[in-house]
Amino acid sequence: MGTASGIIKALNSGIKHLAVKRFTLRYPEQKLKFVGDGYQYDPTTGVGIAGYKGRHILFHDKCTGCQLCAIACEGVAEAIAMVKVNENWKHNKKAIMPQIDYGKCVFCGLCVDACPFYALYMTNDYELSSFTKEGLIYTPSQLQVKPQVQQDAEIQIDKRGASHG
Amino acid sequence: MTAQLPPGLQLEKVDERIMTLNVGPQHPGSGHMRLIVQVDGDYIVACDPDPGYVHRGEEKMSEYRNYITNIPHLERPVIHDSCNILYPYCLAVEEILGLEVPERAKYVRVIASELNRCVYTMYWLAIYGIFLGHSTMFMWPTGDRELLIDLLEKITGARVTHAYFVPGGVRNDLPANFEDVCLRQVNYFEKRIKEYADIFYDNPILISRTENTGILSRQDAIRLGTTGSVLRASGVDFDIRKKEPYDVYENLDFQTNVLQSGDSYARSKIPWLDMLESCRIIRDALKKMPKSGSVRVKLKPNPKGGDVEVYKRVESGRGSLGMYVISKSKPEPYRVKISVGSFRNLICIPYLLRGEKLGNMPAVYWSLNYWPVEADR
Amino acid sequence: MSVIAPKFRLGYFIKALLDNVFWAVVLLTLVGIPAIMIILFYADLPIIDGQILTPFLAFTWMTHPEMSVPLVKSFMQTDFFRIAAFPGFGFGALLAAGVIFVERKMLAKLQLRVGPFYCGKVEGILQLMSDGIKLLTKEIIIPAKADKPIFWVAPLLFVGTAAAFVSLIPVAPKTVVADVDVGLLAVFAIIGFFPIITVLSSWSANSKYPFIGGIRALHQMISFEIPLILSLLGVVILTGTLNLSEIVESQATYWWIAFLPIGAIVFFIAMLAELERIPFDLPEAESEIVAGWLTEFSGMMYGLVQLGSYLKLYAFAGLFVVLFLGGWQGPMIWPPFPEEIATEGITMGPVTAQIPGLPLFSQEMLNGTLWFILKTAAVIFFILLPRGVFPRIRIDLLLHVGWYRLIGLSFVNIFIALGLLYAGVLGPEGIL
Repeated sequence: MGTASGIIKALNSGIKHLAVKRFTLRYPEQKLKFVGDGYQYDPTTGVGIAGYKGRHILFHDKCTGCQLCAIACEGVAEAIAMVKVNENWKHNKKAIMPQIDYGKCVFCGLCVDACPFYALYMTNDYELSSFTKEGLIYTPSQLQVKPQVQQDAEIQIDKRGASHG
Repeated sequence: MTAQLPPGLQLEKVDERIMTLNVGPQHPGSGHMRLIVQVDGDYIVACDPDPGYVHRGEEKMSEYRNYITNIPHLERPVIHDSCNILYPYCLAVEEILGLEVPERAKYVRVIASELNRCVYTMYWLAIYGIFLGHSTMFMWPTGDRELLIDLLEKITGARVTHAYFVPGGVRNDLPANFEDVCLRQVNYFEKRIKEYADIFYDNPILISRTENTGILSRQDAIRLGTTGSVLRASGVDFDIRKKEPYDVYENLDFQTNVLQSGDSYARSKIPWLDMLESCRIIRDALKKMPKSGSVRVKLKPNPKGGDVEVYKRVESGRGSLGMYVISKSKPEPYRVKISVGSFRNLICIPYLLRGEKLGNMPAVYWSLNYWPVEADR
Repeated sequence: MSVIAPKFRLGYFIKALLDNVFWAVVLLTLVGIPAIMIILFYADLPIIDGQILTPFLAFTWMTHPEMSVPLVKSFMQTDFFRIAAFPGFGFGALLAAGVIFVERKMLAKLQLRVGPFYCGKVEGILQLMSDGIKLLTKEIIIPAKADKPIFWVAPLLFVGTAAAFVSLIPVAPKTVVADVDVGLLAVFAIIGFFPIITVLSSWSANSKYPFIGGIRALHQMISFEIPLILSLLGVVILTGTLNLSEIVESQATYWWIAFLPIGAIVFFIAMLAELERIPFDLPEAESEIVAGWLTEFSGMMYGLVQLGSYLKLYAFAGLFVVLFLGGWQGPMIWPPFPEEIATEGITMGPVTAQIPGLPLFSQEMLNGTLWFILKTAAVIFFILLPRGVFPRIRIDLLLHVGWYRLIGLSFVNIFIALGLLYAGVLGPEGIL
């Protein structure tokens, strides 16, 4: 009798769950919302600011070409290389800025932690696929662009279950 | 199984009765590990696990990176449970460098560690379900795990491989308005995992498949040196969070779950009960956490300690996870030895599978909470 | 929905269209014309209203509304229509296709996910058609060391046997493809074929995993055939006939499940084992033996095997309904056909068209079919539900259940039936 009641309870649970809402996030029609603008780091306090670790954004008016981000990445993934740029900045006499290879980057954010000039942050952009390996190498001018990230859905919990909506 | 087999059947025979099966790394029933199983009809005569398929030389590579750059590297053995595998490393390095972790950082660490434990256990449970042929038990944990991964993404910025713990605290503070979202989702998560009782743990077919299989007695569990949920399912009350508390676990109110039978059913039930305890810990920690404070100690560039050796261990999803760090006054550690729970429990696989039926192999093997990637490091 | 779709070129599109047209014309002339010749020479053409119905005359009458309806009606009484369309293969295949789709969506809803979604604008309705077309276009790979004649023929045998099973199930009064007096015995004989076909197909593939799957399927199907047959003996004792249509007619006032619930439950569990549904899907245990005896089938052979499986599912569910749930019996809920249309014709505005020969189906037949479909759908729901709820059972427990418990319960059922018969409650001289 124990088996029969166990079987009936399991079937009952199955039938009850036919009424619970579906949980799936229907990507790419729906995309997840983010809180904030991405992972940032404040060198004066030494603590980061919570955010999503997506693609980097480089502020050309703050980067001095000190290479600390490239040095930090050497031990992790060697994804940052310094390249010459065609820009004249007073604070960047050597005119070099980081170029990030997203084929190698592991999105750990240690380069953001290393930058002392508030120049390198991370954004919410995660759709970085490309048809070629060279397309994954983002030059400093490409890193300057602020991304447009589509955000619509988040987890909502109500009486009939949780769903992304 | 007599002499004249048609030429196409590839069965290897050792002697007339015993057949060697290679449940290899590319098999829908084995994770990424090879098990060489010798069967006599339906009974397993001997089993020889062959770990090392995913060995990447983590310990050697950690000697070339300094203490901070080791963080994204050392979390790779278990990518969903990354906070728990970095925990002993951070505790050890904090002792080497002589750092004092702020109070709020300790609570945040405990919350992240418990969330990671639940995330890992859900993944393990999903694979356990699919090994037994229960596809709903694959879909429900994978879906409900998203509730917690969403929380981890809000805290750390990544869904897996969080790279969140550093020596000296955590890398960033919790986002604004985190407690309401966290409580709402953790409460709903707890409600969801209680539903697994009806469909999985009280399911007569599951009970008939896992009860009284792979029985590990209490003395054997202690003698073989097992750890984690395998130990607690055999009646030994040992949880590192209670016996050697680290960070703020002594202030939190939770209990250790112990079952006496030592069979696969008990081993599959203990992580589920532990998840319910984790939800309690998270709620407790959110209440007791100091409302403000720094979460990280500012480090000098290229920190290095003296000539010391430190061993620290924590309770991860699979058992005790310890790191033995030897530092010799350089920015890079001289040696990092990782001692993982999965590798300790590996000895149980040949011990328990001998004499079992072949149909019980997935149930017993995966119930040992064995994560092949972590065991191979 | 793919973002990486190749660019559209008009030239290629027109070329593809012309290719299709060319091949359609070629096939029609090379195959269609000889077929018509063969029909004209060899087939017996019916005589309607004193005229031999040549194809030319048939096409003429098709366009003439007053003559077309008797033509269609007489066509529906032929054996060919019954076998191919209703209530035979076409009906079964349509229901089987519907069941595959409903199973995927229902399982998805139970598991809190979406299931097929993209094919067809509404919740993936055309997914099945796209799967069928995909299977048609895939290459059929035969393993090098396989036994080729048997390997090719095995899926066809499977579908043929399943279709033979479908042909015995009565859907409505006097609507059954084969009205055999020993219908139930024929059902048992056909069910006995399935293990043979499974073992043939797994053995001829000559590879490790189908071999293991085939042996497991053999064990499973043979050990559950006995309780399957024994559990039906209760119904046979109480009705005194083996003819399926008569069994349905004997349930006019009450259904047999009310008196023989144990037999119904035993039959249900044995049915799940014969169909290789979860919790009894050892022959296809995915996590252990990849796909069991289906591993080496690819392309349309796999499609045929799936079709056969689901035809078998519909047929078993239909058998359950016929034996225990009253078949087509049920209160008359189909609206009656308005009599004026038969005598005076359909009136649309100022035009009145007289169409003799309506109604095409009688009200009883439509009502019976409706009830049959509703009850079969309910039974199929309960067959599909355990797939989301139970894990797979182990082989020694399966044999234990099949040989000990189910046979014991079915004997209990037979004793209950005998008791009811001899107590004079049911049966030919009974009070009920």
